[in-house]
Amino acid sequence: MSPEAQIRGTKPVAMSNLYTALLAAAFGVMLVTAAFVAYKCYFDYGTLFQIP
Amino acid sequence: MSNLTKILIVLLTLSAILLCGIVVTYVASADNYKEKYAKLSSDRAALEQEKESLNNQLKEKIQQKDDAEKSLNAQIALMKTQADELKTKVTSLERSEKELVERTNSFAATTKDFQATTEKQTQLLTTAQEEVKQLKAEQIKLSKEVEQTSTAVVEKTALIESAETEKRRLIEEKADLQNRLDKMMKSGGKPVAAAAPVTQEKGFARSAQPTAEAVNLKGLITQVDSKNSLATISIGTADGVKEGMKFHVTRGDEFICDVLIVDVDTDKAVGILELVQQSPKNGDNAATNL
Repeated sequence: MSPEAQIRGTKPVAMSNLYTALLAAAFGVMLVTAAFVAYKCYFDYGTLFQIP
Repeated sequence: MSNLTKILIVLLTLSAILLCGIVVTYVASADNYKEKYAKLSSDRAALEQEKESLNNQLKEKIQQKDDAEKSLNAQIALMKTQADELKTKVTSLERSEKELVERTNSFAATTKDFQATTEKQTQLLTTAQEEVKQLKAEQIKLSKEVEQTSTAVVEKTALIESAETEKRRLIEEKADLQNRLDKMMKSGGKPVAAAAPVTQEKGFARSAQPTAEAVNLKGLITQVDSKNSLATISIGTADGVKEGMKFHVTRGDEFICDVLIVDVDTDKAVGILELVQQSPKNGDNAATNL
């Protein structure tokens, strides 16, 4: 895929699936961490964003 | 895609993994402060309640201590009063004890004197008893000697009587012979008849054995052994009782039995019951002559 095609508004296509997978993994790790922290806060203190 | 973008992507991924790991580790190992707070709150409430109950108990104990102190003070006062009374009693008892000790000492001295007197009296009594025994023995000896002397006197009297009879017979025989001799002398040689004495020859006197009937002893029955047919009388050798004598036991005018003496002591004698008509009793009369 050439950069001209992106400029022209065509469907973007990843230049490398490896780095896309790395970004997805980083995002997934962040998401799992946030879910774990939310789970712990809710079951330990009963709320997500307030100080009891 | 430039190389810088690639490097940033890789760094972003690594840092995201590292930071997320750190965050997960911290959150997983973090303390549950709410639970701790609730636990501490409940502990505090329990401790407050316990403190209140302990305070109540302390008040009750203090009240009990005050009451016990009051009662003990009252008892102490009572005990002091009793102690004073007891001290007074002890003092009076000590006085009476001293008096009793003095009396006891005087009684002890009196008792010692009495014991000494008793010992002297006992010695005198022993001496007197020994003398009585000796006198009894001497009396028995003298009684025997008197009996022997009486027997000898009777024998001698009989001998004298027989000698006098022989003498009279010889005098008569002599007178008769003298008469016949005178007649022969007068008649001139006639034979003289044999002389016949008027008093008959009786032989020599012999010593007679004294019999119980001749002695005439009297006593009382002092002990009866019906099982062995034995009886004890109240007289013995001192009164002249000898073995083989026979006593007749009577009660009033009734004849009870005979007692044949088999053993004689100084002041009593034991015999076998014979001709038993009734059972003899203590106090029955026993005599050699009825």
